[in-house]
Amino acid sequence: MLKTVTGLKSSRVFLAVVLASILTACATPPADDPDARAEYEAANDPFETANRFVFSANVMVDQLALQPAAVTYRDLFPDALKPPVQNLITNLFQPISFLNALLQGDLERADKAAARFFTAIPTLLLGDTMPDEDPVIEDAGQTLAVWGFSEGPYIMLPLLGPSSMRDTIGLVGDFFMDPVGLTMGSEASIGRSAGNAVVIRSRNIEQVRELQRTSLDYYSAVRSLYRQQREAQILNGEGQPTQPAPTIGLESPGDADTPENRETASGN
Amino acid sequence: MAVRYISAFVLAVALIVVAPAADADSHLDKSQAFIRDLADRAVENLTNKEFTTEEQRLKFQELFREGFAVDGIARFVAGRYWRRASKSEREEYLVLFEDVVVNIWSDRLFSQYNGQQFDILGARDDTPANSQELVAVVESRIQTTPHTSVKVEWRVASLGELTKIVDVKVEGRSLAKTQQDEFTGFASKNGRRFSAIIEELRRRRDG
Repeated sequence: MLKTVTGLKSSRVFLAVVLASILTACATPPADDPDARAEYEAANDPFETANRFVFSANVMVDQLALQPAAVTYRDLFPDALKPPVQNLITNLFQPISFLNALLQGDLERADKAAARFFTAIPTLLLGDTMPDEDPVIEDAGQTLAVWGFSEGPYIMLPLLGPSSMRDTIGLVGDFFMDPVGLTMGSEASIGRSAGNAVVIRSRNIEQVRELQRTSLDYYSAVRSLYRQQREAQILNGEGQPTQPAPTIGLESPGDADTPENRETASGN
Repeated sequence: MAVRYISAFVLAVALIVVAPAADADSHLDKSQAFIRDLADRAVENLTNKEFTTEEQRLKFQELFREGFAVDGIARFVAGRYWRRASKSEREEYLVLFEDVVVNIWSDRLFSQYNGQQFDILGARDDTPANSQELVAVVESRIQTTPHTSVKVEWRVASLGELTKIVDVKVEGRSLAKTQQDEFTGFASKNGRRFSAIIEELRRRRDG
């Protein structure tokens, strides 16, 4: 009991320290330089100083706990048992995905999540095949996006990793309405999320190592990847609007990179 | 007489409508064949037991330089800093990009692909309005393990006889966009100077 109270107190103190550091570290937008202001707005990361601090701690936790667990799972866990584990985890995400798909008004995906939940039960035991390659995963952050809420500033959450104001509110929403948590207890939902983190991490050990090794700014790369991934998830991988992309040559229409500009630049 | 005019009109409209569609189709086919050819050659290198891992990595980099629009990607990745850069900065940046970043991209793809099953699912046209280049997005799936696969989209641009990859999206995440955000973030931390990126790339090449 005493241990629990002490734990609660220390977690409150930790939360207060994090909040205080976020508030004091909130960057102010540059007023005089339009380019700098455009950059600040595009980054949409007013808590960057605090976020970078939390990110460093998260990277350390990843190196000490998550990555070793992921490597152990990948190399030592029997291959034959991996599909059933993956099936079980994916299946435990289906009830909350079903609810969120309903809230988004996407009956097709709600139906798919429900069907996946029930039809996957036999394969949980047999475990040799995946019921589908692209299961429905919907969370409250995606629901809020479908409802028209903008993502808000970028937030790096301790232990949980990259997020945004919208996705953080979504996390809280999911916590309170998750059927798995409500029926089986929060330990089950935490266990599911932890298991999922290990499984996902086990699939990209080399990629993360390579990104860490080669990035000029690992924090910015992760922020960019997170945002792109969320956008793809919100659109369910379909109908992504055409975004600015590289061209074959150096001339890029629409970016004011005209030969005249280049002459000006060369004159600098 | 009127019928003849109407027929001629219908034929003209049909030609106008059909001709670009046929052009677009052949462009999509060409882009798919281009990716298929590169993938086949990558697999050939990666499964050749005579090569060491280091030799395979170097072969992969060669293939990368051949298949990717290195200058166009370099310019895109520099983002808004490109406009403000001087001519000499641009020239040095392009050389450094070719020396350093091409290897980074190549290694990132190399770390994801070890000759696993590679299926091309199809291609769709994504040519922007008012663009001289025809752009196709070639969709593929790489079977990373027997039970997991990764969706990879290759953005292929064609200009006349020239066909090059201008971006790769792995599960919806663009390599070019990520690199651009990374460079902007790095410059932002270092006094918003393009020269900071150049100095860092130079340090990496020489170090």
